[in-house]
Amino acid sequence: MINFLDVYERAIKGPIMSEKDFDMKVFIPRLKNVVKAYGIQYDKETPVPSDDKAADNLYKAAVDFLSQVGVYCQNTNRIIQFTQKEILEAVREAPGKCFVGEGKEAGVFGMRKPDERKVPWLHVGSGIVTTSEEMATNKIEGYASIAELNSISIPALDSIRGIPVLAGSPAEIYAAIRGVKVGREALKRAGRPGLPIMNLISTAAAAVTTIAASAPQFGLRPTDGWLCGAISEMKIDFGTMNKVAYLLNWGANIGAETSPILGGYCGGAAGTAVVSTAYILMGLLVQKGNYQLSFPIHFKYGCCTTRDVLWTVSASCQAASRNIPMPVIWLGYIAGGPNTKMYFYEATAYLLCAVASGAPSVQTPHPAKAVKVDGFTPMECIFGVDMAKAASQVNRQQANELVMRLLEKYESQIETAPSGSRYQDCYDVVSGKPGEDYAQLYDEVREELARMGIPLT
Amino acid sequence: MDQKEILENLSMAIIEGDEDKAKEYANEVLQNKIDPLKAVEQGLSKGMVTLGERFEKGEVFLPDFLIAADAFNVAIELLKPAMEAQKKQVVKAGTVLIGTVNGDVHGIGKNIVAIVLEANGFGVVDIGVDNPSLKFIEEAQKVKADVIGLSSLMTTTMPAQKEVIDILKEMDFRKKYFVIVGGGPVTKEWADKIGADGYAGSAFQAVEVIKKLLSQKKMAD
Repeated sequence: MINFLDVYERAIKGPIMSEKDFDMKVFIPRLKNVVKAYGIQYDKETPVPSDDKAADNLYKAAVDFLSQVGVYCQNTNRIIQFTQKEILEAVREAPGKCFVGEGKEAGVFGMRKPDERKVPWLHVGSGIVTTSEEMATNKIEGYASIAELNSISIPALDSIRGIPVLAGSPAEIYAAIRGVKVGREALKRAGRPGLPIMNLISTAAAAVTTIAASAPQFGLRPTDGWLCGAISEMKIDFGTMNKVAYLLNWGANIGAETSPILGGYCGGAAGTAVVSTAYILMGLLVQKGNYQLSFPIHFKYGCCTTRDVLWTVSASCQAASRNIPMPVIWLGYIAGGPNTKMYFYEATAYLLCAVASGAPSVQTPHPAKAVKVDGFTPMECIFGVDMAKAASQVNRQQANELVMRLLEKYESQIETAPSGSRYQDCYDVVSGKPGEDYAQLYDEVREELARMGIPLT
Repeated sequence: MDQKEILENLSMAIIEGDEDKAKEYANEVLQNKIDPLKAVEQGLSKGMVTLGERFEKGEVFLPDFLIAADAFNVAIELLKPAMEAQKKQVVKAGTVLIGTVNGDVHGIGKNIVAIVLEANGFGVVDIGVDNPSLKFIEEAQKVKADVIGLSSLMTTTMPAQKEVIDILKEMDFRKKYFVIVGGGPVTKEWADKIGADGYAGSAFQAVEVIKKLLSQKKMAD
């Protein structure tokens, strides 16, 4: 496989062009051509398709697309190009597993296939901003109390000593270091200090922040997961490449983070599915990822539970899990917030869709589009784990039928989805237990979903 | 082909993003001595507005919009000399300086807002992504902007929107420009909290909000 310095060399020697020309003259027309040439078609009646040949065809389209388009480097205004041979070689050599965690929490995050009844790797928590260290600690302890979880994401702090955290500023470094110390300390308090934290450093706009917070005295390790994000669409910058350069030298797990936008440059669902699959190839080749964090998202609604995004997730998840040995965490952004029925309907639809489609891992779906400060509670984590386990007992066809029924319940309300409650409004912040209303709502929805035929135990 | 038909075809060429047809019907406008300003307003802009409505409904996507914008610009270039000869020009609804704030490299949302604003008759100056806060103000002065649009896609870059507003206050320029904010994590509550003049959750909301702000200003003047 070509190494990272080869990638960097291409970033400084590849064909030069303006970013606008890359978008308009390379990305958009070539994606359109690939969608047409491979006959990729979105079917709104089948948000969870069951066609293996179509999945393999989508994978081939993604390989072709990446070889035609490449990856644009914003700092050098050059295109990092790969031949089909190089892409296929990277796929062939990919290990398809990632070693994470320490001690009794050490584990191997590996692959799953569509319709496989193996429980996916259970990744719990979120990087959603929280307002105080105390609340962050309570939440993390709450997440870590879920026995089955395999790895965790920790929240970010929005200020340090009352000073707002500005991207790339000294406050960002302070907040990142403080945040990871709080995170590891909370895991120690929960009796699970070895759990891998896989969203490092989710809020670091600057590479220097990631590098600073990685110093061992702050409690992080190479066996945690370190995110290196691509820029939509098919772009990268030196900020991410600097993180990769450092993490490769350290031998740390790299999480290639990608989020194709449906309705943006990708166009509709068919184009977004090609790009979503191509991003996993890019993760192997450019970010040198050991795992991937993928969240295709709707441009207008900012969530992953519209019918067309669900199809995109399912199609690209199947294409990747059948053909690309890269463990991917599929993350859903949900329109409804905590303590609403809508959240649970949408989260169920997302998890059924991803897990039945062969997702190696699913993360707790993020409520309220992940933008509500303190808008995340351990209850969604408990639900996510239970539902991911239930979804692993459902095949694609069954998942499709269930998702169609769930869409009837929430689809018309996506635009006006309730943002729900904040942690401190629906949880007892002292005991870390859910309030009565939320506990009751949770039980009601769980029963309703079980009556629909979802095998919740 | 009569005038009505030519203008309809021009509008359709924009909707279909067909540069060749946009050129063809712009030339028809010139040959038939149709008022070029009328061709812009009732042909080209009408096409962009229709496409915008379809975009809002999810019937078309950003690539269709970008391709249409290119066809629009090609036709405008052809009509420009005729407009200049008649000493006519498209009256801009106002000038909007738009960019993504400090530390944020995500530009797609901002690009869409810029295109939709242009299609709705605004002059738009797009300063790109990851702009230092002071640059917004310097550029707004240079281009005599009426509105500053601040885009942010990350929770950690939202404070930079506040920073621009704070600097405007410090420099005693706050009343000189309307400031609107938008982007994935940005909410109306945030806009109110930092003292922005408006919040736009979508490109079309941005058009409405800016139109409202500028009309209020006109009335006050």
